[in-house]
Formats: sequence, structure tokens, C-alpha cells
Amino acid sequence: MEIITAFAVGLLFAIGIFQTLRRNILRSAIGLVLLASAINLFLLSSGAYNGIEPAYVSETGNIQSDALPQALILTAIVISMGGTAFVLAMINIISTRYKTRDMDEVNGLKN
Amino acid sequence: MLTEHMILTPVLIPLIGAMIALLMRRTYRLQAGWSLATILVSLMVSIWLLTKVWRSGQPIVSQVGGWTAPFGISLVGDPLSVLFVVMSQFVFATGIVYAMGSKDSVVRYPMFFPLFLILATGLTGTFLTGDLFNMYVFAELIVISGTVLTAVSDDWHGTEAAYKYYYISLIASFFMLIGIGCLYAAYGTLNMAQLAERIAIENNRPLLLAGITFLMATFMVKSAVFPFHFWQPDFHAAAPTAVSAMLSSVVVKLGIYGLLRMTTLLFVGHAPMIRGFLVVLGVIGVAFGSFSAVGTHNAKRMLAYSTLSQIGFILIGIGWGTPLAVAAAIVFTVNHSFIKSAMLMLAGYLASRASIKSASFEVVSGIGKALPLAGILFFIGSLALAGIPPTNGFISKLLLFRSGIDAGQVETVLLVGLASVLTLFYSMRAFQRIWWHNPPADSKVKPGGDRLLAPILLIGMVVVLGLWGDLLVNLARDTGQWLDNPAGYIQAVLRR
Repeated sequence: MEIITAFAVGLLFAIGIFQTLRRNILRSAIGLVLLASAINLFLLSSGAYNGIEPAYVSETGNIQSDALPQALILTAIVISMGGTAFVLAMINIISTRYKTRDMDEVNGLKN
Repeated sequence: MLTEHMILTPVLIPLIGAMIALLMRRTYRLQAGWSLATILVSLMVSIWLLTKVWRSGQPIVSQVGGWTAPFGISLVGDPLSVLFVVMSQFVFATGIVYAMGSKDSVVRYPMFFPLFLILATGLTGTFLTGDLFNMYVFAELIVISGTVLTAVSDDWHGTEAAYKYYYISLIASFFMLIGIGCLYAAYGTLNMAQLAERIAIENNRPLLLAGITFLMATFMVKSAVFPFHFWQPDFHAAAPTAVSAMLSSVVVKLGIYGLLRMTTLLFVGHAPMIRGFLVVLGVIGVAFGSFSAVGTHNAKRMLAYSTLSQIGFILIGIGWGTPLAVAAAIVFTVNHSFIKSAMLMLAGYLASRASIKSASFEVVSGIGKALPLAGILFFIGSLALAGIPPTNGFISKLLLFRSGIDAGQVETVLLVGLASVLTLFYSMRAFQRIWWHNPPADSKVKPGGDRLLAPILLIGMVVVLGLWGDLLVNLARDTGQWLDNPAGYIQAVLRR
């Protein structure tokens, strides 16, 4: 289970970074979403996972998981959701103002 | 008991004020007056807190919700954070004064003043919080409100600048989250005091270095330190004047605060390594920022690049790391906030009087002949930027160079001293072009523009702090001594 999580986090990071580096403005925004998911999974694995143990505090006293990362992720998810919505709104304005979806053509400040 | 919870008020007053200001969105005058009153009350409370903390020498710690330190969130008002709060709230108050007298259409936007107050809330919160994750949340508040304030700018390219900033800041926030995750995985706590305690006991856990690196990268993006600076001139030049004066003076100090906390509290064991980096980046920043400022054709962009070089000076102070050098960095931070916000407001004032709304030298060249008062203010501000008496810039540079010589870093002092001559060059060149050159034949100065009250206040502070600098210097020295001993902070928060 740990190895699967590790691969999932790594793969999401790789795809996310690749997408953020693209010139298409919408694809780079999708890259941000993927990066946010990768980081949320990473935060989850920082405390809540211990191998096959499910991510909650057990009642029997055999506590293997920590509830705090879940609270952190909850906050991070809400913030990144608001952030994503805002990014998309700004992309909408930029693409209508500059009539393009290529980052390199959004260069009004370049002087 | 009551004074403990007073430390919450600099965060809560602007936040509640912003909510109430939202209800006043149909009455512009009332909303503006209310926002000014809110920030002034908050400023007075924070000055009171500063005198209290400074007199007692002990931080004020409030455990939110009554949960004790490692479990709940604690707000810590130690000399450093309360001093930064006073500085930022003073500058925010002048920013609101400037916005009230501004002719921009953006200040009529019903969300302008509430967002301004939210920006103040976020900044105050990051300074006061004693919990890393809480700091992330407040930093995110700054990012979103700053972005919206820039995106609605009168400048047609404001949205582009805002998008750049937002994109970079989101990635910086991701860095911060990764750093937080690493530290949590390694040490199992996010309370800064407890984290510092545990790292001091055992400073070689596997993920610690990764955590340090990511946190450092975050704070460097927030302060626009050299390799992460590229978004800053665009962003600060395109924002509305009142906002850019805040962003380029106090909001960039968030990273400075973070780096100070990293080197003096969290990672004391690794501080020599971090400080080594900071000195190198600071010297590069001073040189690069000065040369770039010389090469610009726009007064606002010039000032934004100048922020880059002034932040470099502060980083060098943090990097030398002796209590005197840290004190010098703090004095520099406070003085630079006043100088830079005043200068940006003056640049915005010139743009508001020019025939087309722009601070580009082609447009504002020669415009100053009709504006002698702004000329005097700009001249004093330029002297302060370059560090010439009788301004506070002189005191900050003198203290910094003295601490460098005390620390035995004469080569760095010489190098930086040479680079700071460039400051004089570019600021005086701007002054000449605007006030001495003859205006082009067809240019006209608009009869009315923004009001000059806010820059007068700030330049007044610049001169007052230059003539009577003992108060600030003594305060910074005590703060430097306090930061030299992280055990005090840890004990105060964890109640041992």
C-alpha cells in the first residue's frame, strides 16, 4: 500500500509539473490542480498512513493513524478549490482580453 | 487574562471591519471612513501591545479556544512580530488615506476597502501566528486579496500581472505545504515552539533538510529574492497605486519575517547553512536589483526593482546573523517600508497628474515643474533610499555596515557599499528627469490628481525616524537580543 501511494504521489507530481510548464494557459491551470492533489496525497501519507492501516484513530487503543493530517488536507482542499476557481475565472478574462490561449502571447507588460 | 487575548485584536479588528465594510458597499464615503477608523483602532491597539511587550520583555501568548500549546493554535506576540504588526498597520493606514484621496476608478469598486482590510488581516495573522499551518492559511489570504486588488486595477494589463503573481504564489503555497508535510512527518508537530524544541534535540531526521529547503523557497518567493523575483516588477507596477505601495513595502516583508524565524527559532542548528545562502543571495539581489532599476523606463518599475535590491540588504543583515546584524536588518525592514510606500505613492501621484495615466519616464518627464511639493517629498525619499542623512535610510545603512564590520565581513560591506551608490544614481536620475527636464511642448499637467496627504505622513515618518532614530534602534537591538535566545520563545509558548 505504501509503495502504491508513493508511486501515485510521484506520478501526480510528475504529470503536474509537466503540465504547469506548458504554454497552453488552460493546460497549465490543470497542472496546478494535479499538483494540489499530489500534495494532498503527500500530506495524507505524512501521518495518516501506516502501511495497510486505514486512516483513522482506532477505538481499541492500537492507534496507528493520526487525525491531524486529515484536518490539514481538508483545509488545503478548500483553499485549493477556491484557488482553482479563481484561476479559471482569471483565465477566462485573460483569454477574452488577449484573444489567445498561448502564454507567450500574453505579454502586455513586456516593455 | 485579558491582555493575553488582546493579541488577537490586531487580527480580529480588520477582519470584522472588513465584514462590516461589505455591508456598506452602496455608500462609498461611509465605507472608506469606516475602513480608516478600523485600521486606526487596530494600529493603536498594536502600538499599545508593542509598548507592553517591550517593557515586560516577555511575549504575549494567547492559546485560541483554551487549548494549550502543542494541540491548539497559539498566537504569539513577541517583540519581532508585534513590531512588524505595528509597521504594517501604519503603512496600511496611510494606504487607506491614499486610496480615499485617489482619483482612480478602482477605489470606487465596492470590494476595494474590504479586500484592503483582508490584506491587512492576512499580513497581521502571518506575523502573529505560532503555528506553521496557520501561517500558510494567512499567507493564502494575502495572496488572494492581493491578486484581486491588482486584477481590478485601472491598468488594462492588471489582470495579466495578477495572474502571473497568483500562479507563482500558488506554487509557492504548494512548496510551503510540502515543507509543512515534511516537518510534520519528521517531528509530528506544527507548533513553531515545539517544532524548534524537537529540532534542537534531534536535528538529523531524514525529511528535515527537505522541509528547510521548501520553506526557504516559499519565503524567498514571497519576498521576491533574486532567483524568484521575476513576477515582482510586473506585479508591483501594474497594481493600483494604493495597493502597490502596500505590496512593495510591507507584504514583501512576510518572507523576511519567515526567514528571521527560520534562522533564529526553527532551525537554529542549520542556521549557519541558511545564513550562508542568504548572504550570497542578498549580494546578488543588491547588485541585480540596482542594475535593473538603472535600466528601467518607468518610475514604478524602477521602484519595484529597487525593492529587490533593498530586500537584498535586509537578507545580508539576516545572513550575518549576529544580534547587532539582526537588529540592523529589522531597522532596515521598518525604514524601507516607510520609504518605499511613500515613493510608490509619489510615483502614483505623478501618474495621476500626467496627461495619460502612466508612470513611464516618457510621460512624466518634466511634469514636476508644476508640482514643487511632490518634488521636495520625492527628493527626501530618494535621499532616504540612497541612505543619506538626515533620513532614516542613513540610520539603517549605517547600522547594517557597522554590524558587518563588527562581524568581520569587510569585503561584503565594501561590495554592497559600491552597489548602493547605484541607488543614488537611479533615484537622482528619476528626480532629474521628472523635475529638471523641460516638459515636451504638447504635454499638459492635469489640474487635479491624487491627494498628497499619505506620502506627506510617510515622508514625515522618514525624517522623524532619521532625526530621532534611537527609539527604533533600541527597540531593534532588544529584539535582536531576544531573538538570539530562542529558549525564551519556546518557554513562553509551551508554559514550561
